[in-house]
Order: sequence, then structure tokens, then C-alpha cells
Amino acid sequence: MAGDIVLGYDGSDGSKAALAVAVSVARAFDAPLSIVFGYEPNPMGGETADYKHKLEKIGQDMLATALGDAKKIDAGVRAEILVVPMRPVESLLEAAVERQARVIVVGGSGERPIVGAILGSVPHKLLHRSDVPVLVVPAGDE
Amino acid sequence: MLATRAEASREAGDSMTITTGDVGVSSVPEETGGKGLKVGALGFISSLVIGVASTAPAYSLAATLGFVAAIVGIYSPAVMLLAFVPMLFIAAAYYYLNRADPDCGTTFTWVTRAIGPKTGWIAGWGILVTDLVVMPNLASIAGVYTFSLFGAHGIAANSSGFWVTFVGVVWLIIMTAICYIGIELSARTQMALLGAEIVILFVFSIVALAKVYGGHPAHSIRPSIEWLNPFHIHPIGALSAGMLLAVFIYWGWDTAVTVNEEAKDTRRTPGRAALWSTIVLLLIYVIVSAAAQAVHGVGFLTSGSNIDDVLNALGTAVFGSPWNKLLIICVLTSASSSTQTTILPAARSSLSMAVHKAIPKKFADIHPRYLSPGFATLLFGIISIVWYVGLDIISPGDVLLNSIEALGFGIAFYYGMTGYACVFYYRKHLFKSFKNFVFIGLAPFLGAVILTVLFVIAIFYYSDPVNSASGNQAWLPFIHFNFTFLHQHFYVKKGLGPPLVLGIGLLLIGVPLMLIWKIRNPEFFQRDRETAESVDSPAPPLTPGVIPVND
Repeated sequence: MAGDIVLGYDGSDGSKAALAVAVSVARAFDAPLSIVFGYEPNPMGGETADYKHKLEKIGQDMLATALGDAKKIDAGVRAEILVVPMRPVESLLEAAVERQARVIVVGGSGERPIVGAILGSVPHKLLHRSDVPVLVVPAGDE
Repeated sequence: MLATRAEASREAGDSMTITTGDVGVSSVPEETGGKGLKVGALGFISSLVIGVASTAPAYSLAATLGFVAAIVGIYSPAVMLLAFVPMLFIAAAYYYLNRADPDCGTTFTWVTRAIGPKTGWIAGWGILVTDLVVMPNLASIAGVYTFSLFGAHGIAANSSGFWVTFVGVVWLIIMTAICYIGIELSARTQMALLGAEIVILFVFSIVALAKVYGGHPAHSIRPSIEWLNPFHIHPIGALSAGMLLAVFIYWGWDTAVTVNEEAKDTRRTPGRAALWSTIVLLLIYVIVSAAAQAVHGVGFLTSGSNIDDVLNALGTAVFGSPWNKLLIICVLTSASSSTQTTILPAARSSLSMAVHKAIPKKFADIHPRYLSPGFATLLFGIISIVWYVGLDIISPGDVLLNSIEALGFGIAFYYGMTGYACVFYYRKHLFKSFKNFVFIGLAPFLGAVILTVLFVIAIFYYSDPVNSASGNQAWLPFIHFNFTFLHQHFYVKKGLGPPLVLGIGLLLIGVPLMLIWKIRNPEFFQRDRETAESVDSPAPPLTPGVIPVND
């Protein structure tokens, strides 16, 4: 039973807290860490090709920072970053399959509970749809 | 995962952009897409849903049916059918230009390449103002039908009253927020909503026609094949004004052509969804417009109290309460997808213009959390609200008809430009094969010419305020003239029809704005025209180094 630790990262406080936890989980299992950023513009409203490129760039930059942070926490972490052109939940599920994930780690959407309640937050959807365990990390107080 | 793939983006190329960190290497070999993860295209149904939902049939009918009937009488079905012709031709231009350069600037980018940066800038401006012109209409419809839904017909009847405007503004705020935050309905929900919309419209038509043949309601008329004959529409000005109104009902259909449909053999089945969405739309528009006028005659559609919310009046006449609410709800859901498919492209066009340095950089800002073009979205929402409230104050009671009549100018303008751009861009390849000639040359060119002719005739037609549905209202009263055109005598005593002032005025404002930008930021304007290398080759980036447009 191999498997990565798959982390959903979007730069929010919750995802930063999740990063810290994911790094320690990765160390505990001696497993590689995949840091995932998913994006997908609404297909309604026509052409999106260059908009997507812009988002991809944003994702690359964001994950480069996240990778740096992960190494600051644990210099020995084996990590890779994945920018996936799919909606956040779908990209995590897809990465979980592709990387045979042991667990998916995400931040709780604590800072916007109302929005989460209306839209269904990423962790909420993951809990319903994921075939692997999902670890939801609260944002914390720092 | 299949569902995931069906919903996934149209972007071709790598399944995942994988950047591996330098410490420790991924244990999985990097076989991108090796697991069949094809983030390439939308499924047939999703493409179909996007094409039809973007066109928003229920809302389009609610907004235009009464006004088309007021201009062309019993020939609405003919106009609905005929208006599709230029639309279809222009769609060919969209298809081929998008193939070379899938850029969310669409017409702006293509015209810039093919015809030149100044014209391209104005074409981009055309998209933006056209999107702006429709917003008050959407807001008004949303306001009116919301009150109708709750049976407050007294409030709904006054489309410029405080409460309708209030709900309209709330609607615009909510819709802007939805686009800003990036809320999306799932593909399945969208499908269900659109399916309901289509079914309800057809059920309405069937029940209406059954009543006409079974019970002879007051003033009812039996459908006749003559209704499809556009040659009976006189004068020519009325035909073209009717056509311009009807072109609007197909507005948005072009997304059916530009979304990349997942197909086993892309060579053989390109745009199957586009074809089917066409059939669905044509059937809806012709059948519903025929059924609508059959029930109680044309007069019922054009009467002062019904023209603004014609589907509500028809729903009550055909279904009675409470089933008429179904029709109202489907107008509202249709209007909501139409509002989104107006705000999203407006923001994306601005994003593209900003990326290529045609407007301030700020418009390309992406919200770090919501990943939407935040600044452009918010600004467009705010301007829409100001514009909507302003119009309500300037011309109370006439917002719906002025905006809908003015819209045709903008649509005809930038769709026409797209058609010309296609012919220009591919001009070296038009005579290489018969197929090229027909689909890349003739069709786009004819589409553009038809729209240009409609545009010009409508200018003359609406120059006389009597011809706009607001009738006695005239704007810019210092303008006097008097001329004969195509055997029509135009006698403008004082002022022009509001649709003309709005439609043309907003386009013209773009010219000084473009010149100011050119003086201050000449960079965008320093470029040469391009032509296509071949019909299949992707275009090089429009602005080198800024964004890799094609992989």
C-alpha cells in the first residue's frame, strides 16, 4: 500500500494550516507529498483559453511558494506540485487516483462558513465523493 | 471519473501540468494523460447545454416577442427563421477564427489580427457596450417577472416603478457577485434547468395550439404557412428592424461553436452540439412565436399592458393559475443564465484587451481567492447598475424596448466585424478548395454583409422616433432632417429615436476613447496585419511574450 499524501492548496489560511499538517503526515508515513492547485473557469460565457493560461501561472507561483514553505517546515520532505486544469474538488479526486493517494488533506473553509454552506465547500464535497480518507484541517488562530 | 472528464475544461494538451519539486522525485512515471485523463473537451450534452443556455430562449422570447410582433405583425415566425441565416454564417467565422486563435478576447483579438489594431479596438469596445446595453433589459425582466411570480401584477405592470427597479438592481448585484466569486451550477443542475425550460416552452405551445383548434379563444387565429413568408413584410425598414430584434434571440449561440466538443473523431463530427442546438433553437422560436400569436391574435402580444411581459400574459391566458408560474420561473432561470453569459464574456473580453495592452492593466487583475477577473467583473456590474437606474430615470417605462431595440446595432456591428475578419484573415486560402471558399469565405462574408445592410437600414428606420416602440419619445431634439431612402420618406422634425441614439451613440464613444488610449499608450497600436499561415495552423501570440495563446 503505497501512496502519496495529496494536499489541496489555494493560498488560504486553511490551506496553509493544512500544508503544515500534510508535511508532518508525509513524514510519519514516509510518503511523498503532492501539492495540488485546481482551477477551471466557468465554461459558460465562451472562450477561456488565455484566461486559463493566466490562472495556470497564478497556480504555479502559488505552489512554488507552498513548496518553499513545506521545505521550511521539514527540509527532508519529498514533494511535487501539480497544477490541474479542473475544478478544485475534481482535481483533488483526479490527483488522488493518479497518485494512489493514502489521504487527501485540505483546509477547512472556516473563514467563510456562510459561503461554504451555500455553495458546498471543497472539504464538504470531498467527504461525499472521495474514495480515500479525507483529512480536514481547521484554519487555527495564528 | 468519467463525469469529471465530461465536465472538464476544453483546453487541449497536457492532462496535468506537472512540476516536480527538486527534493524527492515522484514515484509515478510522468505519463501525462496516461490514465486516459483527457482534459480536452466537453461532452456532447454539456456542449449542447452551454450553447442553448447561453442563448437563453425563454428570456429572449420574453424580451422580444411583443416588440417583433409590433413591427412585423403576423410574420414573427418568418423573422425568427430568417434571422438565423446571418447568425449561422457568422458562426462559421467564429468556428474558424477560434480554431486559429482561441483567445477570450474573441472578436477583439481576431479583428486586431486581421484588419488592424484600431478596428480591433473598436470591435472590442463593441462587445463591451453591447453587453452593457442588454443589462438593463435583463434586470427589468428579472424585476417584472419576479413580481409576476408572486402575483403582484400591479407592481409588475410598471416596469420603471421603484420596486421593479429595486429588484432589478438587487438582481444585478447578485449576478455580479456570482460571477465575481465564481459560483457555478453543476453541469447536471444546468441540464435540468435548461431541460425544464425547453419542455415548458413546448408544452406551452402545444396547449396553446390545442386551445386554438379546440375552443376558438377570443381573436385567435389559426396558424398558416404564410406566417413563414418574410416577403410580405413591408416596408423594408420594418423587415430589417424586425430582423435586428430577432438576431438578438440567437445572440450567445456562437459559444456552441467555440466550445470544444469531445468527439471520437474530431474531423468528422465537429460541432455536432452546435448543429443540435441550432435545431432546438429554431424549433423553439418558430413554434413558440406561432403559438403565441395564434392564441389571442397579434394584438394581444403588442397591447400596452402585455408587450413588456408577454410570456407572463400568455402563460396566464394559456395555462391559467397556478401553472402559469412555470413559464415565469423558466423566464427567470433563463434570464439568470443570460445575465451570467453577459457578465462573464464582458469581463473576459476586458481581460484580453488589458493583457494585450489595449486598456489599463488593472482590467486583467485576477482575484487571488476567487480566481475571477475581479476588477473587470465588479466594474462591469457597477456600470450596469448605474446605466440601468439612469435609463429608468431618463426614459421611464421604455427601458425594456429601448435597450432591446438598441442591442441589435451592437450585435450586428461586432458579429459583422467577425465575419469580415475571418475573410481577411484567411484570404490567401479561400480559393484553395471549394470547402474553404464556402465555409471560410462566402458564408462569413455573406453573414457580415447581411448584418451590415440591416445595420444601415435600421439607422434610417430608427432615425424617425415614430418607428421605435416608445413612439413619441425623441432624443437629441436639435437634430432636424428630412430625406428619402429606398422609397421611404424620413422626416425627422426634432430628435432621433432613443434606440438609435443608444445603439450608435455608445459605439461612437469608443472612437475618441480609442484615440486617447492610442496617444497615451501607442504600444498596442504598433502592429501589422496578419494573415493565416494555413487553415489548420494556430496563430502566433498576439502580443509576443505576454501570454502563450496556443500550446
